[in-house]
Amino acid sequence: MRESPSSAIELEAVTLRYPHGVTALDHVSLSIAAGERVCVLGANGSGKSTLALACCGLLAPDEGSVSLVGHACCVDGQVDLAAYREARRELGLVFQNPDDQIVTTVVAEDVAFGPENLGVAPDEIGRRVERELHRVALQELADADPSRLSGGQKQRVAIAGALAMRPRVLVFDEPGALLDMRGRRSIMAVMGKLAAEGVAVVHVTHFMDEALAADRVVVMDHGRIALMGTPEEVFASVDGLRGLGLERPFAARLSDRLRDRGLDVPWTCDEAELERAVAHAAQPAHGEHTDDARTDGAPASSDVPGKAPTQGASTESVVSVRNVSYAYGTADDGRRGRKALDGVSLEVPAGSTLAIVGQTGSGKSTLLRLVCALEAPDAGEVVVAGVPTARKRDRRRLHGRIGLVMQRPERQLFAQTVREDVSFGPRNLGLPADEVARRCDEALALVGLSGKADASPFELSGGQQRLCAIAGILAMRPRLLVLDEPMAGLDPRGRAELMRILASVREGGATIVQVTHSMDDAARCDRVVVLDRSHVIMAGRPREVFAARHGQELRDVGLGMPRSLEVARSLEGAGVPCLGEPLGIDELADAIARACGKGTA
Amino acid sequence: MAFRVSIGQYHPGTSPLHRLDPRTKAAGALVVCVAVFFIGDAAQLALGFAFALAIAALSRVPVGKLLRSIRPLVAVLFVLGIFNLLLVRSGHVLVGLGSLVITTGGVRAAVLYPLRMVVAIVAVAVLLLTATPAQLADAFDAALAPLSRIGLPGHELAMVFSLMLRFVPTIADEASAIVDAQTVRGASLGEGSPVRRLRAVIPVVVALLASSARHADGLARALDARCYEGGSGRRTRWHPLRFAVRDAVAAACVAGFCLGLALLA
Repeated sequence: MRESPSSAIELEAVTLRYPHGVTALDHVSLSIAAGERVCVLGANGSGKSTLALACCGLLAPDEGSVSLVGHACCVDGQVDLAAYREARRELGLVFQNPDDQIVTTVVAEDVAFGPENLGVAPDEIGRRVERELHRVALQELADADPSRLSGGQKQRVAIAGALAMRPRVLVFDEPGALLDMRGRRSIMAVMGKLAAEGVAVVHVTHFMDEALAADRVVVMDHGRIALMGTPEEVFASVDGLRGLGLERPFAARLSDRLRDRGLDVPWTCDEAELERAVAHAAQPAHGEHTDDARTDGAPASSDVPGKAPTQGASTESVVSVRNVSYAYGTADDGRRGRKALDGVSLEVPAGSTLAIVGQTGSGKSTLLRLVCALEAPDAGEVVVAGVPTARKRDRRRLHGRIGLVMQRPERQLFAQTVREDVSFGPRNLGLPADEVARRCDEALALVGLSGKADASPFELSGGQQRLCAIAGILAMRPRLLVLDEPMAGLDPRGRAELMRILASVREGGATIVQVTHSMDDAARCDRVVVLDRSHVIMAGRPREVFAARHGQELRDVGLGMPRSLEVARSLEGAGVPCLGEPLGIDELADAIARACGKGTA
Repeated sequence: MAFRVSIGQYHPGTSPLHRLDPRTKAAGALVVCVAVFFIGDAAQLALGFAFALAIAALSRVPVGKLLRSIRPLVAVLFVLGIFNLLLVRSGHVLVGLGSLVITTGGVRAAVLYPLRMVVAIVAVAVLLLTATPAQLADAFDAALAPLSRIGLPGHELAMVFSLMLRFVPTIADEASAIVDAQTVRGASLGEGSPVRRLRAVIPVVVALLASSARHADGLARALDARCYEGGSGRRTRWHPLRFAVRDAVAAACVAGFCLGLALLA
């Protein structure tokens, strides 16, 4: 490999095996320059996290050579621990779960922890803490307790802590996986600033659109670098990507669809470029354009006119929440009386899907706990499947009939084998052994884990653990399935898999309630409820909630619009005639095609 | 099921007690805790309460918050008082109904022992309310420093202590999420015979252990990434602990309190 003095990271034919025989990196060679921003993509288990750890000096390879920030840490498999230790002083890491990265109970103290370890003089530590907290916009929370912050804020504390060590390389291993859109955006902004200041940034992510901001994209597959190049080059290779469990960025998918519909637009990953091309293509058609796009939008079959609240009148409600208030009575921290929910009402008709959206602290999780009959409301009434949850005995009757997929449900795994874990719920229902076995097999088949029934759940990969936990809930055949951020942390393949599973559960007639921070996921549900600071501020079908007039309000409460709608508004701003309210990418492509006079496909 | 966490109930403030060196505060609280055991009559008790009121006032922590934080322990003391009342058999017999015997010694023990413990509890509560967990860990570190000098991992123990304080809320949240999940899966927690109850907690305890292990993995990685290498070597402190005049004053106050108790004896 070429000798370049400016390169921050130099990996040469690096091979790394884990004790249980998995080859996580297989002859990987990679050179990253100072100030370069490199994005690493790949499916779960492709070796991208291992690559990240090798880049920040926390894993030494079995074979090959590693040179980090000028230190020859490993030469042909000979590890120099002293060199690693020196190199690590100039390398930083931020990873997925912010809870594990914060080591003290005061934000500023935590930022100071790294510099303290480096032996930085106290005055200088003070300056760095102030500077880095300012950079991640947390200066006002310097004295706060990190455990009270939102996920995005915690992650920014972790970033400030890494930056305070003045690293020359900063590795981000899925920093936004558990965050909402706003949290992710703020992290992307910090990354951009860092690269501009000459820090080499390595960013591992599952979000394709984040890769567009990188100088170079590296796609990992089975421990090898499968593709490498600029974002455009990498995303242009359609067949390659699909086989690697990835998807293409939004703009690329949209330009594909537009070209399929006969529009003359270039293939591009660049949203701005695509918008210009569409605006240009729409010009000649402007005159003959009919105004029908506004009213009928697209051939969405579920889109029956009529107001959502009345929709529930004909069908029976599985969940009725009527004027419910709830406060956590944490007596000893003096916050008694802070209402997590205040006067919340909603109805969920049988067999429908509901998305609950809102910022951290808006009361979403509390609402789920009440719907799952884990708690009785302080005021108002919650009725689930005809049973009011006010009395403990009634709540207990409901347990086992409601399926709850909590955040990161893999945390509920406990048994020695997958089969035993999945059988736990059905067995608690008091079902006979053969019925338990039947349901267990069926649930495992549905999530695609039939072959793993006798494995330990703790040996499964992260994505498989999630599916196993979900199988444990589906095996109880709940008529009401409640999910809290089920997609968080999954790769594109995992997301598609879970979507398929939920669709099949729904086909079986179950009612699905999910909390999500993805407006695109919310747009796919029958109804959307928007919570903000303990109140329901909007409710209705996606088309009503995400109507253009609500855009500003949704942004004000820290949410946004589904991607397709945002692009539609932006195109209209660029002179494309009215595109209606497309909620999905296909609808958007249809609307654009119509606006450009190509008619619907 | 809600897990109430009473550790780390720090109340932010700038009172004289907040500004004391955590080592002074911790040592002072320890001395007071020992001293209250020498309280043996009403005059000493009065002095003890005067001292407790004084530090509570100096801390400027809202009365309600202070009372809430000591309430569970005071309840325990009340129960212990009743035991004392019924079990201590010294002095004159006041009531004698078969096995129910109450003596003057019993009454004295039932009143004095819990009340003098209240003084100690207030001292500890004020310590916890005015020192951040990080400061407490620093004090702990200082207390263990002699261990490091003879080659034992004093600093590392203090680090473990401070990480424990940091992770109590995280693990508590985790525990309640897992309890929720298993409850909805039909686990019958807290019902039935002791054996059944014991079996029923397995799904929660094992899952919690597994997730604690995941946190431990992540934490180990984070400590490595931030170049934590134990107490050895180049480590500095952002806020090195320094004794000030107010620490001497505080020490003198505690000494005065002890002397007062001795004089009243």
